[in-house]
Order: sequence, then C-alpha cells, then structure tokens
Amino acid sequence: MNNLKNVTTLWLVMMALTISTYMLGALGFSGTTVVMLLLLTILIKSTFIIRDFMELRGVSTLWKVIMYGWLGVVTLGIAIAYIASA
Amino acid sequence: MKANVIESVEPKLLPGDFAIWIFIFAELLVFGIFFLIYAVVRAQNVDLFNQYQDTLNREIGAINTLLLITASFFVVKAVHAIREGDSASCANWLYASLGAGTGFLILKSTEFYAKFSAGISMDTNTFYFFYISLTLFHYLHVILGMIILVAVLIKTKRGKYAKQEHTGVETGASYWHMVDLVWIILFPLVYIIR
Repeated sequence: MNNLKNVTTLWLVMMALTISTYMLGALGFSGTTVVMLLLLTILIKSTFIIRDFMELRGVSTLWKVIMYGWLGVVTLGIAIAYIASA
Repeated sequence: MKANVIESVEPKLLPGDFAIWIFIFAELLVFGIFFLIYAVVRAQNVDLFNQYQDTLNREIGAINTLLLITASFFVVKAVHAIREGDSASCANWLYASLGAGTGFLILKSTEFYAKFSAGISMDTNTFYFFYISLTLFHYLHVILGMIILVAVLIKTKRGKYAKQEHTGVETGASYWHMVDLVWIILFPLVYIIR
C-alpha cells in the first residue's frame, strides 16, 4: 500500500513541477538561473520516472549507470551549450 | 554482540522482457544525441530560436506533459494491479492510460495541423526543422507505445496475465515510461528554455 501512496505522491509532485515549468515559460522568464532551475526540474522528474515508475530501484548497477548516466550527460550537455551561448 | 551480517542482496532484474530494454536504451541514445545537437545548434542561433519559440503553443505542450505523466501513472497502477492478480483493474488502468495517450495525440495533431496549415515546414528555418523533426519523432513513439499498450490490454482482457506471470504488462509499461521520460526533457528544452 505504501508503494502505491508513494507513486501517487510522485505523480502529483511531477504535475506541480510541470505547471511551474510552464509558468516560467508563459511569464517569459529566461536566463541562466532560470534554465538551471528548469534543468533541475528535469532531473527531479526524470529520476522519479526512472526510479519509481520504471522501477529501476534495486536493479543491477550497470542499468542504473546507463539510465542515470544518460540523464546526466543530456542535462549537462544542455546546460553547457546554454551557458556557452548566454 | 550480534555480528553485523551484511546480506548480499541480489540485484533485481529489469522489469519486463530484456529485449525491450535494449530497444529502450537504443531509443534513449538517439533522443539524447538529438537533444544535444538541438542544444548546440540553438547556442549558435539564439535569436532565431528565441524568436520562433514564441510561435509555439506552450499551453498544448504543458497539457501534453501533464497527460503523458498521468498516462505513465496509470500504467504504474496497471502493473501494481496485475501483481495482485487483479486483471479487471489492470485493464481499467490500461484503458485510462490509453485515454490520456489519445488526448496527447489529439492535441499534438492539432498543434501540427496549425503549423502545417500556416505553411510552416521543416524547410522554413533551422528552428522549425528541429521542432518538427524532434516532436514528430516523439509523436511516432507515442503511437508505437499506444499500440503496445493496446496489445497488452487485449491479452489482459483474455486473462493471459496473472499474479505469477505478467512480464508482458511490465514490458509495455517500461516502453511507455521511456516515451514519457523523453518528453519530460523535450518539453522544457524546445518550448521553455530561452
């Protein structure tokens, strides 16, 4: 039962984070600080999906390294490209 | 003093068929490269990307994100239900996730229709090339994800899955979560970051 409650909570948190992401865009916020905040939001939501929805908590380290490594490289790459052009 | 016995906990297997995970990793690699190329090209064309990003429908993008995350949540509930041996509940949650997925496809189609009928295409400029190719590529993955979930739903309705054996449900769920994971990055990257 606990796991179900946890998944429901994570779903609601991700919905709230999505709305906050949209609000930043709709209100025209931009700049390095905002983008880093958006990337942090991506990391949080993606971790929930990988760990709790895909249920990769407790799988072999190799799979976790692949998934979280992918997430880290992509978000870091986006951050570096953005900072380089800011 | 009780000795601290460190139990060696056997790592869990990846949920579902292993083959789907090879497919998931391959797809994530392609999308990851696509995202990084977008970020680099954007860095070289900041004004162009900022200007045309403003023509995107952020509301549809945001609602679609909410729909995909909700569809993923429903799929998790379907997996939990079948683990309890509750096929009927599993089927209902799969219906719900297909409903949310259909909502995504309808909204996305209207977004594409608005752009294409305004004469915009991948040839219009660099931004639109990336916007259309990235979101269209993802759109096709949503369709494939829906087809997989329909197949899982049919087998669930026929009682093919049970508490002891439900690999197919986990396989479909894993693929669907990958489609959601990609969009969670794509939406802020293309629609919001400026």
